[in-house]
Amino acid sequence: MKIVNYLIYILLVLPGSLLARDDAAGAESGWFNPDTWPTLIISVISILVVAYTIIAARRGKAVKLRAIPGLKAVEEAVGRATEMGAPILYTPGYGGDIQRPTTIASMNILSSVAEKVAEYDCRLIYPTHDPVIMAVAQEVVREGYTRIGYPDRFRPDDIFYISSSQFGYAAAVDGIISRDRPASIFLLGTFEAESLILAETGNSIGAIQIAGTDSTIQLAFFIVACDYTLVGEELFAASGYLSQNPSILSSVKAQDILKLIIALFVIVAVIWATVDPLSSWWRY
Amino acid sequence: MERLKIRWIIFAGLLLVVVVSYLIDFRFGSRPSPQVQKCYDYIESLPDSAVVMISFDHEASSLPEIQPIALALLRHAFRKDIKIIGLSLFAEGTAIGYRLLNKVAGEYGKHYGQDYVFLGFKPQYISAILGLGESIRDVFPEDYLGRSLDSLPFMDNIISYEQVAMVISIADGDRTVHWIEYGNARYGQEIMAGLTAAMITSYDPYLASGQLFAVVGGLKGAAEYESLLGQPGKGGRGMLAQTSAHIYVIILIIIGNIIYFRNRSRQGRG
Amino acid sequence: MATRLPLAICFIFGLVMFLQYFSGHPLARAAYNHILDWWQIIFAFTLLVGVAAFIKSSLRKTQVKKDAPYALIALAGLILMPLLAVIDGTDIDSPFLWAFENMLAPLQATVFSLLAFFVASASFRGFRARSVPAAILLGTALVVLVGRVPLAESISELFPKVTFWIQNYPSMAARRAILIGIGLGSMTTALRVILGIERTYLSGE
Repeated sequence: MKIVNYLIYILLVLPGSLLARDDAAGAESGWFNPDTWPTLIISVISILVVAYTIIAARRGKAVKLRAIPGLKAVEEAVGRATEMGAPILYTPGYGGDIQRPTTIASMNILSSVAEKVAEYDCRLIYPTHDPVIMAVAQEVVREGYTRIGYPDRFRPDDIFYISSSQFGYAAAVDGIISRDRPASIFLLGTFEAESLILAETGNSIGAIQIAGTDSTIQLAFFIVACDYTLVGEELFAASGYLSQNPSILSSVKAQDILKLIIALFVIVAVIWATVDPLSSWWRY
Repeated sequence: MERLKIRWIIFAGLLLVVVVSYLIDFRFGSRPSPQVQKCYDYIESLPDSAVVMISFDHEASSLPEIQPIALALLRHAFRKDIKIIGLSLFAEGTAIGYRLLNKVAGEYGKHYGQDYVFLGFKPQYISAILGLGESIRDVFPEDYLGRSLDSLPFMDNIISYEQVAMVISIADGDRTVHWIEYGNARYGQEIMAGLTAAMITSYDPYLASGQLFAVVGGLKGAAEYESLLGQPGKGGRGMLAQTSAHIYVIILIIIGNIIYFRNRSRQGRG
Repeated sequence: MATRLPLAICFIFGLVMFLQYFSGHPLARAAYNHILDWWQIIFAFTLLVGVAAFIKSSLRKTQVKKDAPYALIALAGLILMPLLAVIDGTDIDSPFLWAFENMLAPLQATVFSLLAFFVASASFRGFRARSVPAAILLGTALVVLVGRVPLAESISELFPKVTFWIQNYPSMAARRAILIGIGLGSMTTALRVILGIERTYLSGE
């Protein structure tokens, strides 16, 4: 009965209260805003391409990814830390929240790293600037340890929240790197100005560093200071690459198809704009 | 050990270069870049009844670089009798923004509540940016000092972005990207930015596409803006130190390559 | 149930937020405003989680000799700053603002300034003409380094123009390509999350 009352509230009462709110109405107040046609078309094409690749994958069509050096090096990094008896440091950077796709991609790699760390009985230190990311990471790592069969090796205290302040976070992680001297450092996520500070400190202690970020500026710093860098969408392909899950691999293929479509569009638009400079159909 | 020694020599050299340069009071004549000129011309063209929203989206760490930019923009706006709505989407930017607004307002005899208002900090920046496009009062029912917005004469006819001529995001990170992606893309709100030098290049695509109106970037941008205003400030003061640091890094790169080629030829002979 | 309910919530809200973008109808806008409010509320609770996690982690570190001093200072900061704000407010000339401007801001700026030193050491180590492409990159970097300072105009009018060209054409082309890839990766990741294919955020599945 309580559930029925709640459903009535959600389906009938709440919409009524929503309609009563004042809002600054835009020019288009119909169910569909015609100004959003281009976005809708591009969105539908993207969704169809992703859907096609997922269906094709489920029907058995294999998807092969090229080797991604940074991800191949994960095993080497964990092995090195085990040999040296030193911990592994993994941090998702300051710039992202859990809702950010880059952070989710980082969590996928963390899951794989956690499995390897559990297997080798190595220490995994995971400092973060966001309490929600901390909570999710604890679950991800715990699941990783449990999947491999070593739930007792999981140390929740090694996954902790530091500070929501950028350089408070950077200073703390630098301190951890300097004092605990990890053998391997994973810098995977959204980074801002603290990227080079962390990468150079890691370089100064001789750690092997695997980095990846969605920021083009910080990528340049990582390429200089780190041993392996995941460039651009390699970070997002990691989930499929490490898990070899067909559905996820298929979405990586979808990315490539969409990139091809965009490239074709750019070529056509450039040629058209060169031939007819006054044209504007390609503008949005 | 050798690597550590080299690092310490590099760090000590940079410290010496920057400190000595900063002690010398010398200012370059800064010709404004097109972007800075565009910012200046836009603010100069605004009528004195115009409302500009300035968002202090930066941390205390970038204050030495960001503050000259913020001061130059605020001085220009107040000089033009433009009304300012200040806010912050970064917790640390709140106190900084409030202090700067009051400081510059005091220089021009402006009054809080009539000529400017500071809304304070709102977490969850994406929902804040989107919400401001619908209703400023829904996002900030009160200002930073706890007064209802309806009680401030300044806010009488200001509902949302539609009454705001320009949003200026003074940032040291990617908050400006969210202003562009949500404020500009969804509501067509014009966005300008004051950025640290390190962040300028990541906004070049937005500048080229027109999604970002213009940028005042780094200490150099601040120096150029100060020269346009005719009011010297810390932007111009820091240019000698910045120039010296650049030259120092160039010399380091050249030395590094000389050492590299020398070692390579020795290995070849060996 | 433990995974089906969150997946259903994720799908419904993902779909709603996606569809409302294309609609100008008052109901869509009202739902959207409502969700934005809830977003703020959820964030407020995550701040509480953060404070609790920080206190727990710092108290644990006070038991470890080498971490104890840092943990104690961090805890002192966590208690003192809100106390100052509550007692004397956050207005100009308040102790809170004094502590912010004279302690926090310089500390933050100090850590940020490490970047300058690390850029110098990374440049010394990383910019080597190991190959032809590396030599081209090196030459370009040197031109841009000079072109970004006022001195460039005194040396030659060409420097700022060439720097502008490098930043706005070849460099931007490369950056746009990476941004497009990242944008597509973000989009497919978001789609996978909404459709429930990507479940790592739930519990590592």
